Amino acid sequence: MRGVAIILILALLAAFCGGCWSRREITEIAIVLGMGLDLTPDGRVGLSLQIARPGAFYGGGDTAGGEGRVACWVVRGEGETLEEAAAYLAGKVPRELYWGHSVVLIFGEEMARRGVGAVADFFGRKREPRETMWVTVAEGRASDVLECHSVLEKTSAQAAAFLVTMGLGTAVRFREFVESLADEGVEPIATRVTVREVGVTPCPGEAGAVGPHRQAETSGTAVFRGDKLVGWLDQAETRGLLWLKGRAVGQVLTVRVPGKPEGWLSFRARRQRAEIVPRLEGGSVRFDVNLVAEFDMVEQGGIGDFAGPDQIRGSERLLAGAMEAEAGAVVERVRSAYGSDIFGFGDAFHRKYKREWHEMKGRWDEEFARAEVRINARAFVRETGLLTIRAETGRE
Amino acid sequence: MAERGRISPTQATLLMVSTVLPTAILFVPPVVVRRARQDAWMSLALAVIVGLLVARLVIGLSLRFPRKTLFQYSEEILGRAGGKAVGLLYIWWFLHTGALVITDFAALPCIALMPETPFIVFFILGIAVSGYAVRGGLEVLSRYNELVTPVSLGSIALIFALLTKEMRIERLLPVFDTGAISILKGSATPAGWLGEIVLLSMVAPYLSNEAEVARVAYVSVLAVGACVTAATVGTLLVFGPDLTGAWVFPVFSAVRSVVIANFLERLESVAVSVWVFLGLAKIGVFYYAAVLGSAQWLGLKDYRCLVAPTGVILLGMALLCPSTAELFEFAQGAFPVYALTVFEVGIPLLLSCVARIRGKGATGGA
Repeated sequence: MRGVAIILILALLAAFCGGCWSRREITEIAIVLGMGLDLTPDGRVGLSLQIARPGAFYGGGDTAGGEGRVACWVVRGEGETLEEAAAYLAGKVPRELYWGHSVVLIFGEEMARRGVGAVADFFGRKREPRETMWVTVAEGRASDVLECHSVLEKTSAQAAAFLVTMGLGTAVRFREFVESLADEGVEPIATRVTVREVGVTPCPGEAGAVGPHRQAETSGTAVFRGDKLVGWLDQAETRGLLWLKGRAVGQVLTVRVPGKPEGWLSFRARRQRAEIVPRLEGGSVRFDVNLVAEFDMVEQGGIGDFAGPDQIRGSERLLAGAMEAEAGAVVERVRSAYGSDIFGFGDAFHRKYKREWHEMKGRWDEEFARAEVRINARAFVRETGLLTIRAETGRE
Repeated sequence: MAERGRISPTQATLLMVSTVLPTAILFVPPVVVRRARQDAWMSLALAVIVGLLVARLVIGLSLRFPRKTLFQYSEEILGRAGGKAVGLLYIWWFLHTGALVITDFAALPCIALMPETPFIVFFILGIAVSGYAVRGGLEVLSRYNELVTPVSLGSIALIFALLTKEMRIERLLPVFDTGAISILKGSATPAGWLGEIVLLSMVAPYLSNEAEVARVAYVSVLAVGACVTAATVGTLLVFGPDLTGAWVFPVFSAVRSVVIANFLERLESVAVSVWVFLGLAKIGVFYYAAVLGSAQWLGLKDYRCLVAPTGVILLGMALLCPSTAELFEFAQGAFPVYALTVFEVGIPLLLSCVARIRGKGATGGA
């Protein structure tokens, strides 16, 4: 009797163990790969979602055969708030939206200029979007980035995310963006994304056209003040910013050797760090910024021996000078044009002078604008690749 | 005697770690960081001192009254009526805290993972599974816990190790930024949690060697303090004080932030398994304390008949929680004060003072 009862109970339990509650079959969800936020003409929130078509992802590699199967679909909803816009989308997308795989968040330029704090809250509060997705700002409309096509990747959202990951520009994860929104001592930055003609499609491919191909590229840095976009940095200025942030690994710096026509040398940074040392002297604030970088020599333009210890020392001096010039230029430009402390000078000051900070943070913008910034760079060249001197040098 | 099992000092230590740590690691960091910002580690250090003092009280009482639980020696100290009154209060507190732990246990899956699933599903599952262990007795509960705790703590430590590349030491600076008052305020909640070591008074009599009770108590308080501090500091190093204070579950969000080489990510399923493993142990300890206490209070020979009714009471009490806002307000704001003043310090202090004045129990105890 007891045995029968146990078997019955087990059988009953088995019926509930199918994992049917809260289940999400892949055929029933719409996987969001990228999210774009634009301001609509009447000042509401426009939410564009790039949704994957799972069928197009099967098989890996190219979607060969010129079937013209597009891997994604972009839809747009509007609303007073983001959740309203998303709810509106439920009437357009026949599946449940799944946000957990979205790799990139794109703010449209107008939206970013109006302020992103309120919409950033949505993505932190919602349980599916990841803290690790990349934050970017599109020059123009965010939906254009999602709607363009990538030749190498399946979708433009993934392409944009890979560009941020692999590229040498500013790369900001969502949690870092939100942290700098909240932090009083540093202003947020994000990757700048532009849709341009990039490369050429030589034969009718997925895009269906021969000729120049439009797609998204990273093109520098978006500078915020508070939660509002105030301007852009181009790629050269972004490199200056990265020296100051200690994140310039992989950057290539080219210096000209004095007195030698075509005597240029290119170096790639393999390690880099930055330290901001604030000093408070008689009520005026000064920042000593110490940059340290290690380089490898990767290209030699001129003929001559640049691999000897003395020549390397000369190159190191030139590299340090170049770093100082780039970093100094970006500090001056951001201060004068945007008045935004994206470098974290405020944080550095707070760490050292906590009492003074609490009294000065209300007027930090003025203090920061007045502060003297001294940049002091040290460069070390560690190796020269597989060649020592350029091969023709021996003929000289 | 209602409980015939015996557990080793190691088992008892791990059980005490599971009595305090599981919900502390999820619920304590945000509130401490909101109050003390990057100085949270100082608040936690203060809380550990409070925890050690509570442990000292419990050790003193246990050594003074060997092989007796809180329910038994309170009657010996205060007399039958007084002892019964104290017992009733503790039965209430074990049930109340047990229900709170069950609600905490359900909160993570309900808020962060399975919003469509009602709370009651997790309540029933949690109570049923830990009730099964409680019915098996202290030895069963301890062995279950001995099995899962090392694995769980190891996994969490590994995940935090994977996070080190996202950590920046500057996020802890400047030290002593918020002032002594904020740091003291920050220590209230973790102190309330660490004071739960008072449950050792229900387990100590069943140690194979009761003389080890001091080591069990101190080691478990220090271990819990170290784990909570490590998790809080680790999370601060990843998010900074503003964001850590804003997340509902900062430690969970930190686990979600692991990305190694674009493929080792989305590790939160590991964290959730750990949560379930340790959460069940924690529910089990409070459930066990309520059941054993009730049996001793009623003078029953066997406590097993009380397991099912107590489970129903726990379920009913857990269902009283109206919203997660109320849960956080109570767990992080009111509970520490309520638990610390009455049950973790107040009554044990009263008991040990009266015992000393009346000269009850063995004099060997402190």
